[in-house]
Amino acid sequence: MTRTPRSTTRRSLLGGLLAAAAVPALAACSSGITSLDGQGGGGTGGGSSAGGITIGTANFTENQVLGYLYAEALQAAGVKTKVRANLGTREILIPALEGGDIDLLPEYQGALLHYLDPKAKATEEGEMQNALAIALPKGLQILPYGMAEDSDAFVVTPGTARKYGLTSLADLAKQNGKLVIGAAPEVKKRTVGAVGLKDVYGVEFKEFKSLDSSGPLVKGALKKGDVDVANLFTTDTDIIAEGWVVLTDPKNLIPGQHVVPLIADRAADSTVRRALARLGAALTTKDLTELNRLVDKDKKDPEDVAHGWAAAHGLAEK
Amino acid sequence: MYELFADLGTWLTGAEQWQGPDGIAHRLTEHLQYSLLATLIATVIALPIGLLIGHTGRGAFLAINLSSFGRALPTVGLVVLVFLASGLSMTPVYVALVALAVPSIVTNTYAGMTAVDPEVKDAARGQGMRGHQILWQVELPLALPLIMTGLRLALIQVVATATVAAYVSFGGLGRYVFDGLAQRDLVQVLGGAVLVAVVAVVLDLALSGLQRILFRHRTA
Repeated sequence: MTRTPRSTTRRSLLGGLLAAAAVPALAACSSGITSLDGQGGGGTGGGSSAGGITIGTANFTENQVLGYLYAEALQAAGVKTKVRANLGTREILIPALEGGDIDLLPEYQGALLHYLDPKAKATEEGEMQNALAIALPKGLQILPYGMAEDSDAFVVTPGTARKYGLTSLADLAKQNGKLVIGAAPEVKKRTVGAVGLKDVYGVEFKEFKSLDSSGPLVKGALKKGDVDVANLFTTDTDIIAEGWVVLTDPKNLIPGQHVVPLIADRAADSTVRRALARLGAALTTKDLTELNRLVDKDKKDPEDVAHGWAAAHGLAEK
Repeated sequence: MYELFADLGTWLTGAEQWQGPDGIAHRLTEHLQYSLLATLIATVIALPIGLLIGHTGRGAFLAINLSSFGRALPTVGLVVLVFLASGLSMTPVYVALVALAVPSIVTNTYAGMTAVDPEVKDAARGQGMRGHQILWQVELPLALPLIMTGLRLALIQVVATATVAAYVSFGGLGRYVFDGLAQRDLVQVLGGAVLVAVVAVVLDLALSGLQRILFRHRTA
């Protein structure tokens, strides 16, 4: 008797939105299954890039830039490419790669290894490359890793570093129970995070604040002094811009995170391998940081930014 | 799928899951605390506005459109915006939740006030009642059922949205959703979502029951 027409429309509108949100998800599922039936499975023999390569990227800036850089390098080598940007996380990307919706994906050594085998102990680059080759599901392979690296870093402001005498992660243990750390929620239970810092360095924080992954929240909190230590990525442009101090890792807690192409066997041939190796050898961490900055701060289009870099390094299509 | 629901059942009923600072009991209390406080603040802001525009009949267009702005704002965006300006505290969360709750209360209060039969108001005026007397003794009581509906709607929206507190490191049931997503713990995500839904439904039922008891002598 008291329900207004307004409330009913709002409810049905909400229902409509939910339904609309569910449709693409269902569509994505079914297309994944059909392509798995169609062309998945096999692929133990040599692959071919003759039919063109579809590159997928995860839902953050750097991965998109890398995707477009891959596209530039492959096009320069005469391979037709298509980029499907911003597809989501590994939970979506890896099945899409296996199912044939995408063929190639810019990945990171340590993070990918941890995803495939959470118990993996390897942190050194060569070691990880081998561990990855073993852990990958059938039909997928990794190519040689590039120079550029985007690893986890624990940073403090110069003021905090001076006040507590912090230069390495080991120094954090001298201030046990005093410092507040800000990081993404998963870092609380991750080895490369609160767990590892305690086990390897004996660090105990006063408080763990769940924020975001190297995003505006955790950086804002560090800037304002709401947290003392922040978990960021080494390619975050603000580390240099703000003069933040990256704590060193003498006991190698943090695994290397070199950029590594993850590709489906069916699409991997020598043309692709050579083109991506050439890109990997030319792209440095500093370059990648700068490209991230162009997209995030100067609001440039990732595709243009990638093209600009490739052209400047002689890797773009002539 | 069946296994998932079985795990969910274990998660929801496990004794250890209900205890401690990370336990459901504590998170539930936090969630209710955030929701009730935000709705209370929103009521203090929105109720006078709704009563005023309903009583005078002036400024309705402006007030309703301005307040509806709050409903159109993306909550997470607003939280981040206020966070960047004010730092890490509950303020960004409360600002966003209040902005979400105000429109329902303003529009429903206004709707309730305008739905009062003009002849009744005329009769009151004819008996020599003054403006404020008409407001408090005639319009407000008659508009009360719709005002209550507005409050109910606001509270339900806030309960469902108070999960954003976890986005900026605070507690509440959103903690399970955000942590579960980040830690790839689907059971935890589902558990948090189910709890939020249950709280919203229970509160809605309780308030509508209260409404029915309060206004049972009326035929609307």
